[in-house]
Amino acid sequence: MITGIGGQVLWVDLSKGTITKKPVDEKIVNKYLLGAGFLSKILYDMIPAGTDPLGEENVLGLATGLLTASMFPQASRHVIAALSPLTGIWGESHAAGFFGAELKFAGYDAIIFTGISPKPVYLHIEDAKVELLDAAHLWGKDVFETDDILRKTHGRQYRTLSIGQAGENLVHFAAIMNDRDRASARSGLGAVMGSKRLKAVVVKGTGKIEVADTKNYLKQMDEFYKRMLANPFTPGRVKYGTTSLVELMQHIGRLPSYNMRQGVFEGYDKISGEAINEHYLVKARADWSCLQRCGRYTAVREGPYAFEGGAPEFETQSAMGSRCGNDNLEAVLYGHHLANQYGMDTISLGGTISWAMEAWDEGLLTAKDTGGIDLSWGNHDSIIKLTRMIAMREGFGDVLADGSALAAERIGRGTEKFVMTVKKQEIAGQEPRAQKSMGLAAVTAARGADHLYAFPVLDEAGFDEDIKKRFGEEYLPEMADRLNPKYKGIMVKECEDFMVMVESVGLCKYGTQIPPEFFYDDIALALKIHNGLDLTGDDLQIIGERIVNLNRLFNARFGVSRKDDCLPERLTKEKAPLGPPVGEVVELDQMLNEYYEERGWDKETGLPLRNTLERLGLDME
Amino acid sequence: MTELEFVFGDPDVCSGCMICANVCSIYYYKVISPERARVRVVRMEPALDFPLFCRNCEDAPCIAACPQGALSRTSKGIVIVNNKKCNGTGACVKACPYNAIHINPDTGKAIKCIQCGQCVDRCPADAIFMTTEKDLAKRDKDGKMMALYEKHSKVLYPSEEDR
Repeated sequence: MITGIGGQVLWVDLSKGTITKKPVDEKIVNKYLLGAGFLSKILYDMIPAGTDPLGEENVLGLATGLLTASMFPQASRHVIAALSPLTGIWGESHAAGFFGAELKFAGYDAIIFTGISPKPVYLHIEDAKVELLDAAHLWGKDVFETDDILRKTHGRQYRTLSIGQAGENLVHFAAIMNDRDRASARSGLGAVMGSKRLKAVVVKGTGKIEVADTKNYLKQMDEFYKRMLANPFTPGRVKYGTTSLVELMQHIGRLPSYNMRQGVFEGYDKISGEAINEHYLVKARADWSCLQRCGRYTAVREGPYAFEGGAPEFETQSAMGSRCGNDNLEAVLYGHHLANQYGMDTISLGGTISWAMEAWDEGLLTAKDTGGIDLSWGNHDSIIKLTRMIAMREGFGDVLADGSALAAERIGRGTEKFVMTVKKQEIAGQEPRAQKSMGLAAVTAARGADHLYAFPVLDEAGFDEDIKKRFGEEYLPEMADRLNPKYKGIMVKECEDFMVMVESVGLCKYGTQIPPEFFYDDIALALKIHNGLDLTGDDLQIIGERIVNLNRLFNARFGVSRKDDCLPERLTKEKAPLGPPVGEVVELDQMLNEYYEERGWDKETGLPLRNTLERLGLDME
Repeated sequence: MTELEFVFGDPDVCSGCMICANVCSIYYYKVISPERARVRVVRMEPALDFPLFCRNCEDAPCIAACPQGALSRTSKGIVIVNNKKCNGTGACVKACPYNAIHINPDTGKAIKCIQCGQCVDRCPADAIFMTTEKDLAKRDKDGKMMALYEKHSKVLYPSEEDR
């Protein structure tokens, strides 16, 4: 009997309008945990080759982790997954907030949505009472309006998760938002929710989480809290969130600028964490059980970009700032706010606009294509205009709403070479020529370009001691050297196994990977006192490895192999023109070979070898 | 009489992380459950998070309201609930002007903050503190903190039908 969880899974058939409750399958938990691992298994079993991501056969799963709603530092997270409309392969996204914990208190660990509702609906959960309600009055409303209306209708203690107009309009990088400004942004899962005509989920839970070891629980959590608070990273996280990464990334030349032409931006100080703190920060805010409170609440008090709300974090500063050559910070903040309001991923949004800007700069796109919108680098008025037009699929926004890869396919004229994607998802704010591990990680991530699947930050800034602990002294100094491709395959593999396990227990990457305060053994201990599970750190590593391999098998079903594990040519062939990585390219093949070797995958196909699957107990899956 | 102490929090500093509520429910009831905590945390916009505790009123209307006489003030000035006498009628819940008393759904008994300080010690934002009316006036010299509570009192302390 697993303690510390809700205990039930909701199966919602939107075509039929039926809701079924089933107990959490403990056999799956023992093999895959909850969260990302649980959904990996469920969706692998349910989504066949040839499925249309926006069709009736796609399955949208939402799951909390084993420790979500626990007292472990930053145990706030839930995971959403489906076949992605942006990439056509495994789609997965995560968010913090309070929604996941509330779902647990109502008694549920996961919700699996199948089918398509004949009319717009939302799911209302109040403890044991679960019902689909008419959402006609919510369709067309933005994320904030939806939250306002639903909490006015049901009670202000409710937690909401919804799509905005972007999800309704099937924008390929639409997000699913919760608690107003938390985003499951990547993979375009908002469009899957929109295609199912599911506007929102609202939940209120008055139940309790019973923990396995009541005697030692608080004492052990006190130890975890002390460590988190004493970590030298924590005060900086409280002060800046992730916004001061702009300064660090500029320093190492890893700040994507002008659509990844380069990794330094002359206007970086105008969009920096310091600039935000000086003029716009109202308050640092936390999610469930979070000691680091990286959430920012900001306000622009006057002018065309006046707003207040939750915004931003580093990825947006990079995507809507430096990447578009834009040093107007108020426009960056406002753009982030609008993306939250309409429900969109700011990384793909900025990545797609910056692709169009480079094509414009090269004379391949003109006012005739854009309907008169000037796409000169840094034109913040146009960035804001396009943000709305993309969400609404109006004019040129309709072309961009499919993401940069499909937009370039449609426009042609050589614009394809400026598409900075892997497997059709826009690369996030890590210029990989300045940090080779990030180039490899973007390529091997299951959901297409992604920095978080591995989140290989151990070579980012002085984690030599952690490398020594996790890998051994013999890997130094090469593994800690950002520009050296050596041992990066080994590092990315190790980080992926750990990170997917973290996403399966509901914890945050801040606190586990950066700073690397809590590792396998700490999480094993937490799973023991919270869930009563007897798993060792080694067991958890194998589970992580199993999940990564199952994600690869899912993608193989949709045709993925080594041929798709590639970066845009710019990053592997054109030397970085400026800044600290000047002259560098990403030595991808060398790193990939090492990675496949380490994974036990065939170097030619990039797919798991039979004996690897047998070792992980995946040969029968 | 010694000055009455109570726990209070600054809504501009509180991050809304719920750790105080979790500490409370695990400490007293061995479970994690905001519904069973003696503190409530209310988040509202713009950027406010209110941690709400018993205010230890001088006149303590909860004591007078209880038909069982289950509530009393200790020599240290803390208003406590005698579980042997409490039968969960909820008169104290209604009488409390700060919506700071609740019925624990498991035990059917009234629960309220008794100023134990367990949460104060663990607040990662240092947003909550043990105080008295006099001390609070000193901490909140410009009256900004109290004005926020006053301004949002309808949401923070809703009448029973609005809860």
